[in-house]
Parts: sequence; C-alpha cells; structure tokens
Amino acid sequence: MTTEVSAAEEFVPPSAPDFWQPLVGDGAFALTRSMVVMVLVTIGLAVVMMLVTRRLAVVPGRGQFRLEGMYGLVRNSIGRDIIGSAHFKPYIPLLFTLFTLILVNNLMGIIPPIQFPTMSRIGFPLALALGVYVVYLVAGVRRRGIGGFLKNLVPSGLPLFVVPVVFVLELVTFLITRPVTLTLRLFGNMFAGHILLLLFALGGEFLLLHGDGLLKLVSIPAFLMFFLFSAFEILIAFLQAYVFILLASIYIAEVYADDH
Amino acid sequence: MEGNLAIIGYGLSAIGPGIGIGLIFAAYVAGVARQPEVRGVLQTIAILGFVLCEQLAIFGIALAFVFSG
Amino acid sequence: MAIDNAVGVLAAEGGEGGFWEDTYPVIPHPGELIVGIISFAALYFLYKKYVVPRLETMLAERQRTIEGGIERAEAMQAEAKAALEQYRAQLAEARNEAAQIRDQARAEGQQILEELRTQAQEESARIVARGEEQIAASRQQVINELRGQIGALAVDLAGRVVGESLADDARRNGTVDRFLDQLDGMVGAGGRGGATAASEGTR
Repeated sequence: MTTEVSAAEEFVPPSAPDFWQPLVGDGAFALTRSMVVMVLVTIGLAVVMMLVTRRLAVVPGRGQFRLEGMYGLVRNSIGRDIIGSAHFKPYIPLLFTLFTLILVNNLMGIIPPIQFPTMSRIGFPLALALGVYVVYLVAGVRRRGIGGFLKNLVPSGLPLFVVPVVFVLELVTFLITRPVTLTLRLFGNMFAGHILLLLFALGGEFLLLHGDGLLKLVSIPAFLMFFLFSAFEILIAFLQAYVFILLASIYIAEVYADDH
Repeated sequence: MEGNLAIIGYGLSAIGPGIGIGLIFAAYVAGVARQPEVRGVLQTIAILGFVLCEQLAIFGIALAFVFSG
Repeated sequence: MAIDNAVGVLAAEGGEGGFWEDTYPVIPHPGELIVGIISFAALYFLYKKYVVPRLETMLAERQRTIEGGIERAEAMQAEAKAALEQYRAQLAEARNEAAQIRDQARAEGQQILEELRTQAQEESARIVARGEEQIAASRQQVINELRGQIGALAVDLAGRVVGESLADDARRNGTVDRFLDQLDGMVGAGGRGGATAASEGTR
C-alpha cells in the first residue's frame, strides 16, 4: 500500500489502483491479495463454525453463546421477522453465510496483519449479490411460475396504459437495479472507507516524513483520525453485513408477499 | 488548482443522501423518544431507509471513480 | 490530470500495471469473481449441511427443555397448591375437632360439677339425717335410761317413804308405769316445760 509514496517527493493521494494487488501473475486470473484474504476467511469461518457447532449444549458455553447471539440476530430479527415465520427456514443458511462472510471480510480491513477489505474489490460483493439474485429469482419463479412471476411484478388495479411502463420499470428494478445496488453498496462502502483510512495513514506519513517544520505536527491529528476511522469502520463493517442480509431477506420476502 | 471534476460530482451527489439520512434518523429518534417500546421495529425501518438513501451517495462515489479514470 | 499522471508514473515505475490496474474499480476482476463465487458456495453448502441443522436441532431441543421445564414447574405449582389445600383442610378439620373437644370438655366439666354438687348435697343430707338419727337414738337412750333410773329412784324413794317394800316386780313396774303415764298425761296437759320441771323435781 505504501510503496508508491516512499519514492515520491510529491504527495500522491490514494486511488483506485491501490486496490489492485496481484501476488502471483498478472492479468484476468492473477492471484490477488483479496483472493487470499477471501480464501483464508472462508477456511477460518468453516473451521470455527464446525468446531463450535460440533458439540452444542442446551446450556451454552462462551463460544457457543456468541455464535448463538449472531445466529439469533440473523435467524429471528431478520429471517423470521422479515420473510415471515412460514417460509424463512430454507433461507437461514444463505443469510447466515452472507452475514458471517461479509462481517469477517469487512473486519479484515481493520485487523492489522491483513488490513485489506476483501469487499473493496467489486468481484466479491458481486459474487454474493449474484447468489442472492439467483435465490430470489428461483424462489419467485418456483412459487408462481414464470407467467405468474412476471404478472406479479405489476400491482393490480392500475390503469391499462400505465401497465407496460410499470412492468418495464419493475422488471429493470428486479433484474438489474437490485443486484447492482446490492453489489455497489457493499463495494462502495468498503472501498470508500478504506480509501479514507489510506488517505489518513499515507497523508500522515507524508507529513511526518516530508513536511516542513511545524507541518510535521499536523501528522498527529491525521494519525488520530486514522484510529478514529478505524473504529468507525468496525461499525460500518457490521452495518453493511446487516444491511446486506436485510435487503436480501426483503427481496426474498417479496416472493412470499401475496399482494404486491 | 488540481483535482478532478468527478469528485465534485460526488460531493454534489452526497448532498441529497446527507439530508435524507438526517431526516430519517431525526424521525427515528423522535419516534423512539415518543414510544420507546417500538424501538426494534423502528430500527429496522430506519436502517432500511438509511440504506436506500445512502445508495445514491454510493452510486456517486462509484461513478466518480469511473469518470476520473 | 494529477491522478492520471500519478498512475502513469506509477505504472512506469512499477513495471506492472496493465489493464487491471488502470481500469475502473467497478469492473469485476474475473479471477476474484470466480474465487468469490466458489468460496461463497463452499461456505453455503457447509452451513446448509452442518452448521445450521446442528444449531436448529439444538434450538429445538432447548425449546423442548424449556417447555418441559415450564410443564414441570406448572405441575409442581399444582402439586404445591393441592398440598396447600390439603393442609388448609386439615387445619380447618383440626380446628373443628379442637372446638368440639373443648365443647365436650366444657360439657363434661359441667356434668362433673353437677354430679359433684348433687353428691355433696346427698352427702350432706345423709350426714344431717344420720346426725338427726343419732340425736334421736341418744335421746331415746337417755329417755330409756332416765326412765329406768327414775323408776328405780322413785320406787326406792317411795319405798322409804311408804315403808312398804315394793320389791314385787310386777307391782313395782305397774306402779312406775302408771306414775309415768300420769306424768306424761300431765305433760300433755301442762306443756313440755312443766313435764321437764316435774321430771327434774322428781329426781
């Protein structure tokens, strides 16, 4: 992250290319830093989850208690309350996977040895959004058939000449806007948050190393802001994970809502 | 004066969501103050509103990077 | 612009760059997309197959335990209530019994008192009666004694006075009896006091 600044006498603000960090190879299938983080997080999550759930007691221990708190949030506050108690059970694995994966990946943007938010590379949020997209499309078509699914896009009781316009708008919303916003929100938040952190860290470093006289002192507030925003990023990490599954479950819930 | 016009575009796109998020949380705080027992329901709705508002700003920052490239 | 220049300079310096460094950040990198999908799918299937079912089983079990606990608590409460009722009934019964015993005891005491009283009255009556009897007997005895002595004395006296032996029992008895009868007759006419005086006088 800091390689480009050390050489330059002029301050170079952090920008999009800072997030391109291939480790092996170059090009479309290069092994990048975010891939490594993603795979490590996935393996770590899998191992931890399997270990914690191997022996579940009715009276929980410490690890199980935390896991249950998270699981209860996903299962009850989001899954059951939004999708509805009749249909939420099959979607719990999806929601729980999304929540844990996004939360831990986002936290990786702050945890020191890694400090790279996986989700600031748009490929990963897109992969997750595609998963949600496929699930809610399949669920919708399965429930009503393709005809019913398309018919259900337009609320009943509209004047006839508005129907095509609404249909196209809804179809675009359904097929394009939703996955795109889902992707862009997570990506944008992590990207912007990390760029802000980079700005404070690199700016502070530049001021400290290359500033003239008193300007060196300005690096202190810059580093303070870096810590402040790191703490703020924890909140954002949690909020984005929560919001992602909140929206996913709202999209799924719409499949089961009988009147549009 | 150096910089990028796209960033000004992002600044403009952040005005609307800023006002909107302010309004949403003002309403949320007022609602919880009036009826503390509906906090859970209001929280979900407030976060949903916040997210839908924020999405405009996120579009702004994404497009800013697209056009600055 | 500055950023463009910087990127260009960096690309030149680093010697890497290329399309994926310079492109827009909103264009997904295919390798990353594939890795993302694979990771997501793998974790999803793991959760679906192991983690969530285990958690659900545990939650269901906990629900059952809690419900069982509630049922047990309810049963215990009912039991306690029944015990309380029973205890109360017993207490009421005991109180009743105590009252009964008290009443009975009171009645018995009354009866005993009554019995004692009648007994005492009887006793006293008997004592009085016996006393009277004794008095009467003593009186009779005294009278008989006196009658004998008076007779003997009177005969003695009369014998001395008259000089006539009155040894003849038959005559003596007849005389004395006659005399006494006369005395009695006098008493009957002149009152008791006179008789007493007469008897004292005769002595």
